Amino acid sequence: MSRLAHAFSRRLLLLALTMWCILTILFALFRLLPGDPAAIFVDNNMSIEMIEHQKQLWGLNDPWWVQYIRYIANMALFRFGDSFFQNQTVAAILLEKITNTCAMIFPALVISVVLGTIIGAFAGWRRGGRLEQATVTTALILHSAPSFFVGILVLMVFSYQLRWLPPGGMTSPGGPEGFWDLITSADYLRHLILPCMVLVSREITGPVLLVRSSMLEIKGADFIDILRAKGLPEWRILVHATRNALLPLVTYIAVMTGLLLQGQVLLEIIFAWPGLGRELVTALADLDYQVAQGAVYVMALTILLLNLVADMLYGFIDPRSR
Amino acid sequence: MRGFRVILDYPSGTAGAIVVVVFSLLAVFGPAIAPHGPFEVVYNTDHSVLRLSPPVANALFGTTNQGMDVFSQLLWGTRSALLVGLLSAVGSVVLGTAVGLASGYFGGWTDEVLMRLTDVAFGIPFLPFAMVVISLSKPSLGLVILLVVVFLWRIPARVIRAQVLSLRSRPFIWAARAAGASHARILARHIAPNVLPLSFLYAAIGVQTGVMLEAALSFLGFGDPNAMSWGAMLNAAFQAGAMRSAWWWVLPPGVALSLFVTAIFMITRAYEELLNPRLRAI
Repeated sequence: MSRLAHAFSRRLLLLALTMWCILTILFALFRLLPGDPAAIFVDNNMSIEMIEHQKQLWGLNDPWWVQYIRYIANMALFRFGDSFFQNQTVAAILLEKITNTCAMIFPALVISVVLGTIIGAFAGWRRGGRLEQATVTTALILHSAPSFFVGILVLMVFSYQLRWLPPGGMTSPGGPEGFWDLITSADYLRHLILPCMVLVSREITGPVLLVRSSMLEIKGADFIDILRAKGLPEWRILVHATRNALLPLVTYIAVMTGLLLQGQVLLEIIFAWPGLGRELVTALADLDYQVAQGAVYVMALTILLLNLVADMLYGFIDPRSR
Repeated sequence: MRGFRVILDYPSGTAGAIVVVVFSLLAVFGPAIAPHGPFEVVYNTDHSVLRLSPPVANALFGTTNQGMDVFSQLLWGTRSALLVGLLSAVGSVVLGTAVGLASGYFGGWTDEVLMRLTDVAFGIPFLPFAMVVISLSKPSLGLVILLVVVFLWRIPARVIRAQVLSLRSRPFIWAARAAGASHARILARHIAPNVLPLSFLYAAIGVQTGVMLEAALSFLGFGDPNAMSWGAMLNAAFQAGAMRSAWWWVLPPGVALSLFVTAIFMITRAYEELLNPRLRAI
């Protein structure tokens, strides 16, 4: 077995172990702590027989380890069951919310990476200048600023004071229906601008700092001197250098997407964006535990998979790290 | 103490330190100087409730929609924020340092088990996880602190393990062992003092993360309902739609949070440059 395949199987095993731990904790929390899940669902009009029937149906009378094994098997196969309150399967709800979340994350991701690379490359190329100092300081401060307060501020200024942009949601009432019609509409773009801006202001700092520091290393490399000796104009040397500085960025993008997904919860609440994070918060408030555990499961799995991709890409792209 | 003086060599470090000291004083003495309790309603002279008032003489930062004094809430909130920050930082660093020391020093199975545990901890997404735990039990400051500790210990654990691994193979450790020192003595006398600067760095980062996470959880409505905090203020203001009309309610907690978090960041940045001289060159 090649070393890469070995590393991959090892990481996969670790992912399964982590997922299993998270599921076990979730099981313990959801089943053992607050007593009887049936109690949430039961209303006063139900007879004892109906409650017993319902419990039988959900398998709540089985011993806990039978429930545990069934639970792990169901989760592993993405069988999340039905929502307690919405007349849909949890899987259908989650799929819709994930699409909405992606509709916010992807534009932010693309802008952050492209713009961040350009800014970082320039900052690194003109090392020691005023511009570089300002870029680095701004990036570091933006990185540590609480993004949900930034979101609130932006909302106060652009939606409520200036009234330029809508204060929340994905569309205005009566907007386009289908997903593709929606994300190509001007209405969606107007709703996207503010949350996307806030996400970018935070996530762009990663690519900026990363590309800048790898540019600093590359500037001293021999091939830059050779390009210069060949008489290439400065901007073409810069393009060559940037292409080489992009290497560490590739793996960072995967990690960054995971981070985005986590920070997303707060922004979805502030901008009333009907995504996965907001669904989790409402599901917990409504005691819709089926939906809540499905949402946590999907988030955790996505983040773990992205980290796995990042690690593997790193070994694949940069043979020195193996 | 040498480390603390180096922070003051940087203007940004000094600024950060001043801000943190001011906030600490407010956390200690704030409730004593606060004119009202965190949930106390302020009345006009004609006994009507002073609702959604912009800053006036008897409510310096104005009032909320329920007629509570924003200035007093901010002072009480500073105490909870810093309490969570401090305790979660101490907890996570003590735990992380202990795991890192044991893992790095003893190696073998201890290392394998502790590091796989750390890997698992790295896979847990904090906000979703914390929200589920809190909504299924009773929300309290203690629980928030516990959750932040569970979330944070993993980073110092990994970093300190790496540091211990490099220390373990240095001659002065062999010398100590040859002289007959016990494991406990080597760890306490020779290794621990060398990782303490790192522990301090992660404690500072821990305060920052703890304050931020508490604010985030409270903002989402998963905070302690009996404790006033910056996040809880923002949550109440957000729920009441204060962004439309009552800037005096939204800005104080948000600005306090941003200021505090940035101040700690400046301190850690200055301190990092001390620990890692390469940063200074780049």
